[in-house]
Amino acid sequence: MRKTTARVLPVALAATLFGAAACGGGGSSTTSDGRTTIKIALWNYKTTPEFKALIDGFEAKYPKIHVEPVDILADDYSDKVTTMLAGGDKTDVLTMKNVTDYARYGTRGQLLPLTDYVGKLPDKASYSGLEDFDLGGKYYALPYRQDFWVLYYNKALVGDADMSHLTWDQFDTLAKQSTKGSGSSKVYGTYLHTWRSVVQAIASAQTGGDLLKPDYSWMKDQYTVALDIQKAGATIPFGTAKSQKITYDSQFTTGKAAMVPMGTWWGAALLAEKAQGKNPVDWAMAPIPQIADDGKTTTFGSPTAFAVNKKARNADAATTFVEWASGPEGAAAVAKIGIVPSYHSDSVMNAFFGVAGMPTDALSKQAMQPSKVQLEMPVSDKSSDIDQILTEEHELVMTGEKSVDAGIKEMDSRVKNEVQ
Amino acid sequence: MTAVSSSPAPATADNGRRRRRRTVLVGWSFVLPNFLGFAALTLVPVVGAFVVAFTDWDSYSTPNWVGTANFRRMWHDDNFWTAVRNTCWYAAGHIPLTLAASLGLAVLLNQKLRGVGILRTAFFFPYVTSLVAVAVVWNMLLSPDMGPVNQVLRHLGWSHPPGWTTSTDWSLPALILTSVWRDMGYYMVLFLAGLQTIPAELYEAARMDGAGAWTRFRHVTLPGLRPTTYFVMIMLTISSFKVFDLVQVMTEGGPGRSSLVLSQLIFREGITQGRFGYSSAISLALFVIVLAITLVQFRFQRRSER
Repeated sequence: MRKTTARVLPVALAATLFGAAACGGGGSSTTSDGRTTIKIALWNYKTTPEFKALIDGFEAKYPKIHVEPVDILADDYSDKVTTMLAGGDKTDVLTMKNVTDYARYGTRGQLLPLTDYVGKLPDKASYSGLEDFDLGGKYYALPYRQDFWVLYYNKALVGDADMSHLTWDQFDTLAKQSTKGSGSSKVYGTYLHTWRSVVQAIASAQTGGDLLKPDYSWMKDQYTVALDIQKAGATIPFGTAKSQKITYDSQFTTGKAAMVPMGTWWGAALLAEKAQGKNPVDWAMAPIPQIADDGKTTTFGSPTAFAVNKKARNADAATTFVEWASGPEGAAAVAKIGIVPSYHSDSVMNAFFGVAGMPTDALSKQAMQPSKVQLEMPVSDKSSDIDQILTEEHELVMTGEKSVDAGIKEMDSRVKNEVQ
Repeated sequence: MTAVSSSPAPATADNGRRRRRRTVLVGWSFVLPNFLGFAALTLVPVVGAFVVAFTDWDSYSTPNWVGTANFRRMWHDDNFWTAVRNTCWYAAGHIPLTLAASLGLAVLLNQKLRGVGILRTAFFFPYVTSLVAVAVVWNMLLSPDMGPVNQVLRHLGWSHPPGWTTSTDWSLPALILTSVWRDMGYYMVLFLAGLQTIPAELYEAARMDGAGAWTRFRHVTLPGLRPTTYFVMIMLTISSFKVFDLVQVMTEGGPGRSSLVLSQLIFREGITQGRFGYSSAISLALFVIVLAITLVQFRFQRRSER
């Protein structure tokens, strides 16, 4: 008997191991009450209210479909989805956090084409950011929101300066004027976050420079402004912000920064924090400062979209969700909580400014209607390699390890040599 | 079972062979659960990586055989050589410093002191602390403007103290400092165990012969610790060359590429950019580097044993 045990036990163990592994991939696609379930990959479900707004709105309209969120940490989202798709994951709807990742999944054939639907849209022009998803004439995702950069400011700290047509030089001066105090009670005129887009995407949008092609000399003026602000002590130094992992939200809501250039996604978060009593700041929006003083507002931004996984379990229901979310009804659902939808119409904008606590002054309304929104990073199979190089050199320039000229020269030569 | 026990007794030689085979099988069956896990999660992927290194696999499409293209690309890749340099730099700082710190601590804490248990625990503590927490706290300590480290340095008269993680020259030293602080407690425990194995008579005899503290350390403690030192060296070398988590949390390889290490490049090329072929090729290079160094250490150990 003992011998039997000795022989059978390992086999049984092995069988258990394999059995457990085999069971891992299961799961049902309908609920107990017979509704079709679609799973949707998204990030930070609790702190990103638009997802719940969309899911609730959709389920109300389509009671036969149940939407189940698959929550992923925002910072890990791209890596995680890439890994999921590589493993043949069957999650029905995938949120496209940025266009670069979208292009990667789309060109690899991991997403279901939605080209026919886009071709039949009667009011294509109302979908802002839609053309950014054109991959050689094919569409694999539909945008439901379109964020772009504006200037958030703390009314109490800025005073009565006219911010309707700021140039970057005027912004520089205003930031220095608004800087007060010293030590731990210091109030900075502005906070320039550590992302390279704060300098580079603005320069690209407003000078017409191409982020994918050297030479990058068009960045020089914008770097000069950013470094001048930093040198004057009108923003937390880049190195400190980076090593302390300072968040732009805490700088603004604790009243330590008077003006913060940031994307429109922030508005909803500021409103939510206000409702929870975590944001005592009286804030509003102004158009992003400009390089050229020609009365136009050029800014940059990027759309967020939903796509259907090619291996989706319930592709039809998933497609219905993606189409609904990007259309007028989805737009109304997100505008109601202070998110800028991709689909634009007067009623949607009214819903947006009707949100409790949303600043409704003329300047804020002007900020929400830029003349042009350029895509933050052009889509190409080289985008993420170039992004890496530009980020590294941005760090070196902003920490003062390299001069602006040396940094730009290095960007030129590295993009030429390393990106194949 | 019944078949075996009811059959007539065979020749003794046959019986012995059968018994031996059974012992082997039973032995294997004990190892099997662990081996299955090892095979599925380590062995197969490692062998797989050797193959993938010669393809252009992107984790999704069908891989194409590309021969040595990945290795040729690596040879001309500035990022790869930067990472190799940084990794060697890190190892050159991390290995000797950790070795010295942990050996020193072990010798100090091997004495009969009041509260030695508390001290040993205190030095071991960093090792069981979450690495992310360690990295965040050290980032704050080393903050160039407001960090306590630089405040102390300024107080001591260093008017321009290092920029640590915000400076290209000091980011690697900052990482080495943090990792030595974190790892020394673990290796101290290994050395403490080694110290227990050195017979007290040897020290006594040395003292009789008039050897001072340094001579006793040099000629009794160090030779007695040789097997432990060898083990610690090997473990330190391997862990230095595959350092990843600390760098990722503390500096993300920055500023610029000043602290980019090989494992990070592997992660970036593979997971972020989806070039699994190329990233496997870099992994192979890392494997070869570590293997070569370990073999050299083996040689030295053999020679000194003779």
